[in-house]
Amino acid sequence: MSTPSRRTAPPAAPDTVILAAMRSAGETGASGAELAKQLGVSRAAIWARIEELRKLGYDIGASPHHGYVLRACPDALHADDLHARLGGTQVVGREIRVFKETDSTNDLVDKLAHDGVAEGMVVFAESQHQGRGRLGRRWLSPAGKGLWFSVLLRPNLSPMAATQLTVISAVAVSRAIERETGLRPGIKWPNDIMFGTRKCAGILIELSTEIDHIRHAVLGIGVDVNLAAEDFPPELRDLATSLRAEAGREIDRPALAAAMLRELDYVYARLREGDFHQVGDEWMRRCSTLGRRVTLKIGDRTIQGVAEALDDEGALVVRNEHGHVEQILGGDVTMQR
Amino acid sequence: MDLKEIKSIIDLMKKNSLSEFELEEKDFKIKLKRPIGAAVAPLPHALLDDPELTAYAPLARPVAPTPAVTSAPANAANGDAEIKSPMIGTFYRTPSPDAAPYVEVGSEVGPDTVVCIIEAMKVMNEIKAETRGVITAIVAENAKPVEFGQPLFKIRPI
Repeated sequence: MSTPSRRTAPPAAPDTVILAAMRSAGETGASGAELAKQLGVSRAAIWARIEELRKLGYDIGASPHHGYVLRACPDALHADDLHARLGGTQVVGREIRVFKETDSTNDLVDKLAHDGVAEGMVVFAESQHQGRGRLGRRWLSPAGKGLWFSVLLRPNLSPMAATQLTVISAVAVSRAIERETGLRPGIKWPNDIMFGTRKCAGILIELSTEIDHIRHAVLGIGVDVNLAAEDFPPELRDLATSLRAEAGREIDRPALAAAMLRELDYVYARLREGDFHQVGDEWMRRCSTLGRRVTLKIGDRTIQGVAEALDDEGALVVRNEHGHVEQILGGDVTMQR
Repeated sequence: MDLKEIKSIIDLMKKNSLSEFELEEKDFKIKLKRPIGAAVAPLPHALLDDPELTAYAPLARPVAPTPAVTSAPANAANGDAEIKSPMIGTFYRTPSPDAAPYVEVGSEVGPDTVVCIIEAMKVMNEIKAETRGVITAIVAENAKPVEFGQPLFKIRPI
């Protein structure tokens, strides 16, 4: 597998440098003089940036002895802050854009892809009007309650191998949730992130391909982070859950967002380096569908059986009620309790 | 053909989930068969001992359905091109179940016109016509499995 072109990330924005410096300094505080020197600006200019950050909701203390201390961050996504938290990744998150609202981040990223934007671009929206899942199904994306984002990748894969993206993205989302919340979700085949029979995150991958290669792939990811029970419409309450509901506390969304990008970058690096199987093995360990009775709907056909295994390509091996074994690549899977 | 070449063919078969490969040259013939799925890694022992499971050798990756030709103009074979599936998956003619199909027989399409979706493991692949023309036949069936390289549409270039 050849290495994709590595464009260097644009130089860090002043706010990224300031936020990163304050985070690493902690209680000690980041010196205004040093920041001014590092950014090649005056101390007054640093002060002005601090004021702007305060307006965005950052609680920043300042003292002559301690410099700037970051006391608290707003529950909002800011591209510069996400860059500061990430501290550099190989591909995913080299560029980040945050929109207050949009129709669908997948549509937006797809447009950017057609304009020739380099891979690794991430677009977050604080709310989506037309967030969607498979086959045009609506995905609830209320403002400020979740993470709704899309990642542009240009993997050197054949369309046949695109299912690897399903596998690695499910692992990355699970790992990020585990890291930031301590919860351990299961993966419902192929990539729903679940607590028991309730879904808390979904992934939809849209490809633009030619017969033998992928032009680009858009990974659309939706995570129900801080939704309360009443944020879900009644018909979803038995099917959906949020990290807040599972953990019993508010979850730090910006920290989780950065963790998502870091883990996606990690698994994508494994894929590019030809280590897909390492991630594939983790996916199998996390897959909660195996050994369960499942109902599958594929078009107008329904299959009932037991999910017995995953094959080399990640297809679900199901033994149906007549004892026959089928390999399943698509359709809707329902796990029986 | 040496052992190395044979090995690379086997690798290609694995990579593309091909179950059979046959090649015939002047005085050489090779036929390779591979039970797809039989080499599943993490099967619990109980399953490996199960004669039925291990005996499903030519296991059903979705078998290409007999093409249900929706429309077959008499001259369809003459000069019509095919739009083929770039992957194994499920063929969808509509973006969502209640939506109108992307194209119908008679639809005029351009290179960037989306004609259908192929889905595999929640990867939705929008297939484009790649050429300018008129759809003359829809040869795959909606919401049914399709194979790699299976014709989906016939298109008459204009």
